[in-house]
Amino acid sequence: MSYDDVEIEDMEWNEELQAFTYPCPCGDLFQITKDDLRLGEEIARCPSCSLYITVVYNQEDFLGDNDKSKKKNLEPAKQLPISVA
Amino acid sequence: MEEAQRDEEESKQQQIWSWGAGTEGQLGTGKLEDEYLPQFLHVPFLSSAESISTLACGGAHVIALTSGGRVFTWGRGTTGQLGLGEMLNSLHPKPVSSLQSYVITHVSAGWSHSGFVSDIGLLFTCGDGSFGQLGQGDYRSQSTPVKVDYFANNFVNQIACGMRHSLVLLNGNQVYGFGSGKRGQLGISRDKIKSINLPQVTCGLEDVQIVSISANGDHSAAISADGHLYTWGRGFAGASDANFPQLSLSSLRCTKAALGWNHGLLLTGDEEVLMLGGNYHGVLCDLEKMSAVKHRPVDGAIKTWGWGEHGQLGLGNTNDQTIPQTVSLSPDIQNKEASLNVYCGSGFTFAIRSLSVNPDNISRN
Repeated sequence: MSYDDVEIEDMEWNEELQAFTYPCPCGDLFQITKDDLRLGEEIARCPSCSLYITVVYNQEDFLGDNDKSKKKNLEPAKQLPISVA
Repeated sequence: MEEAQRDEEESKQQQIWSWGAGTEGQLGTGKLEDEYLPQFLHVPFLSSAESISTLACGGAHVIALTSGGRVFTWGRGTTGQLGLGEMLNSLHPKPVSSLQSYVITHVSAGWSHSGFVSDIGLLFTCGDGSFGQLGQGDYRSQSTPVKVDYFANNFVNQIACGMRHSLVLLNGNQVYGFGSGKRGQLGISRDKIKSINLPQVTCGLEDVQIVSISANGDHSAAISADGHLYTWGRGFAGASDANFPQLSLSSLRCTKAALGWNHGLLLTGDEEVLMLGGNYHGVLCDLEKMSAVKHRPVDGAIKTWGWGEHGQLGLGNTNDQTIPQTVSLSPDIQNKEASLNVYCGSGFTFAIRSLSVNPDNISRN
């Protein structure tokens, strides 16, 4: 049984975990990655316990995000050799 | 969260136990693991003349308030909630040195932020501020307690920290809310409020004398001097959210309220425990059944029930329990005059046994 339904806008992006997170009653964080969201996954799990939540979101919002993040990943890679030189 | 009453007669002997989720150091055991049975703690600062007057347990951190108005914290500190000037976990209790020049009388621990009230009515907050829950007028996090200037001309009596919001009770009776308000937990507006970073008065309590406030998850509650319970924020048991304080169970006279993430416990003037909320992991028996359970059993035992996956019930296993079970504390008690206080955080529990006679047993969550 899903512990709660949580809208994606109420989840926080965690840079370290590279995932959207939401507090879990056990003290850890429910987590779901952008890749999960692109695939239509709607369950965010907690790594420390058996609880999970249902994430409410629009899959299309993340399909578009795919291209953006690819571009973002490319830009630093291009710049990197310049800064080294 | 409960009011920390500094008793002048300091109890000379206290024993502390902790159990449940421990991977952030919140149990104060010096280990990063869950404990399924109560762990007897050797807390060095207790050997001083001061005793602990209250504990506040949050998402994964603990605040201890001593009878002398000093504050110690431990557990998760990654958003500054320990107030130790860094964003690091602490395995052992450490004094919050920046508050040393104040006499603190009330503390509260939220999911990832903390609140402290001094004897002259000053309010300090630290920790995660990303929803405005520190009330500092911004969305920054603070690793050292910062005075909330908004209340510079008011006398703050209590603070209650929830998951992403805070409530404040002034001496003049007003209740204020700040932080995330999406589920109505601030009680400040009929419209949906995403979040605010400065305190705003909670509506509908203007003519009510409020004596205590509580917050946890997205729930808020207050108890009036005549024993009425008001709740607002996320609805219990699938009920709709309330944007304003609602009078719940108006026939009851409550003396204490403790909120969980999906349920609440009430203590009545007849020392009966009642429960509000849905049904998950056996956290909630039906209200009728629970009303038969007295808050203070004659044998002075600790009773636990509900979710047990991290051992937070202290019964030696990870089972859920739908009926209150008795927790055994070791070393066992010799002095029947001792009082027991229980404090629940997110997946972990603390118990303090004081050998001085104190009729005001406190429980939370």
